[in-house]
Amino acid sequence: MPRRLFFLGLDSLPPRVLYEGLDGGAFQYLRGLVREGARWVMRTCHPPITVPAWMVMFTGKTPGELGVYGFRHRRPGEFGYYIVNSGYIKAPTIWDEASRRGLRVGVYGVPPTYPPRPLHGFMVTDFTTPGPEKPYTFPPWLRRELEALTGPTIFDIVYRSEDKDRVARDLLRMLDNHLRQVEYLATRKKWDAFFYVEISVDRAHHAFWRYFDPEHPRYEEHPRYSRVIPEVYRRIDEWLERLHPRLPKDTVLVVASDHGIKAMRGAFTINQWLAEQGYLKLRVDPSSLKPGTDLGEDMVDWQGTIAWAWGGYYSRVFVNLKGREKHGVVEPRYYEETLEMLRRDLESIRGPRGEEWANKAYRPSELYPEVNGDPPDLMLYLDDLNWRPAGTLGWPANYLEENDRGPDDAVHDWHGVYAVYDPEGTLERGERGVMPIEYIKAHLEQLIFSKEEG
Amino acid sequence: MAGDKVEVRISRDLYEKAREFIEETGGFKSVDELVEFLLQEVLSGEEEAGLTQEDEEKVKERLRSLGYL
Repeated sequence: MPRRLFFLGLDSLPPRVLYEGLDGGAFQYLRGLVREGARWVMRTCHPPITVPAWMVMFTGKTPGELGVYGFRHRRPGEFGYYIVNSGYIKAPTIWDEASRRGLRVGVYGVPPTYPPRPLHGFMVTDFTTPGPEKPYTFPPWLRRELEALTGPTIFDIVYRSEDKDRVARDLLRMLDNHLRQVEYLATRKKWDAFFYVEISVDRAHHAFWRYFDPEHPRYEEHPRYSRVIPEVYRRIDEWLERLHPRLPKDTVLVVASDHGIKAMRGAFTINQWLAEQGYLKLRVDPSSLKPGTDLGEDMVDWQGTIAWAWGGYYSRVFVNLKGREKHGVVEPRYYEETLEMLRRDLESIRGPRGEEWANKAYRPSELYPEVNGDPPDLMLYLDDLNWRPAGTLGWPANYLEENDRGPDDAVHDWHGVYAVYDPEGTLERGERGVMPIEYIKAHLEQLIFSKEEG
Repeated sequence: MAGDKVEVRISRDLYEKAREFIEETGGFKSVDELVEFLLQEVLSGEEEAGLTQEDEEKVKERLRSLGYL
């Protein structure tokens, strides 16, 4: 018989919270399991973002091999973008492999799994699902069963809002919705391996981190908002304490995150900077634009443009390459030289007081063994992720204290968690070092399949 | 006319299995509802087609408001 495995994915949970006690005392039960188990600092992928990170973990392939560099991608020669969904994940996941071996699997909330694909077991898709009226489960009738239990499935919340009380209410409602559904599935359905990713943790971090982390530069103790993150943790912890004894006795319990989280220092307007440096030529006067205006294709004077960029947790920079882009001007023979010049200039960007930043600009081929899909020309991290690149225009200065997309307190970080509690004690306990995210699939497979083979 | 119902004949064995299924799962009120739901799922072909343009726009809007884009 294979080992049963229950995987609890807490999106964006950093080691400081689970291993170093920055949890407001909320993870009582979970920390007990972690103490009894083996734990690693999980080192995430480039880029450290939910999509592709969970799929890197569950396929064992790097983003380059998957051809997934974030949620959105740009086909060569086009200005607009497309969004990835489950159909873009071509490598087999751990649940595909387990299904193939005849094991029953449960998958809940793993991004991106919409549209759901058949597997030997059941699946409920993630926050990239367009809406609860869509066929978001496999088998299809599972949706009706869950809705009879909890009402409509809640896929996400809008957290970039000034109305933080509403954000907190919506967040806890979504979390409870998921916890009830997963408890039902875990206790009523047959499974050998169950993979559950909870996105509420990430949403709580982004909306309330500055009320929670005393190291945040804009830290503020607040009678209600400072309690939201610990409340999210506490609800998960108490739920797990109730659920755990109801799972089969030999179940291996795994807790992991896809990336860490840390305070956002501010946002930097990358396209405004490219325009100032002469890389991007605009047809419009940026000072006449409303702050937060997206860069539109018709705003660009393509004949005078060398490069433009996307914002997000990292910046993707595109060269206006002749033969590839619609109005390309950079001759292919100058491509290498242009990239190196751009890299040098991007890495020299300094902070608002002229302080040095730890910027890194990578070419995808430097990061991955294979580069598939539609990669950018350069992948840029500003000040080791502390500053968020903002792609929008119309800002009076290049340094913004807040995010250009609305209130947000946090950025992603390189380190997450990976902890395994084996009730049969087959694993060496304690701190086990660093686990690269793309090795986790093989590690989980060893746990699940070892007894089957033995 | 939309909303009109017609009768469909299925084997008694299958009908009994379907009744047991809806009792166990609680997602459907009747066998009629289950049959209608399943036929709709099969015939809509949405899972095969992936995301419609409208779906993709919805997702883009959400990702934008979440700050991923």
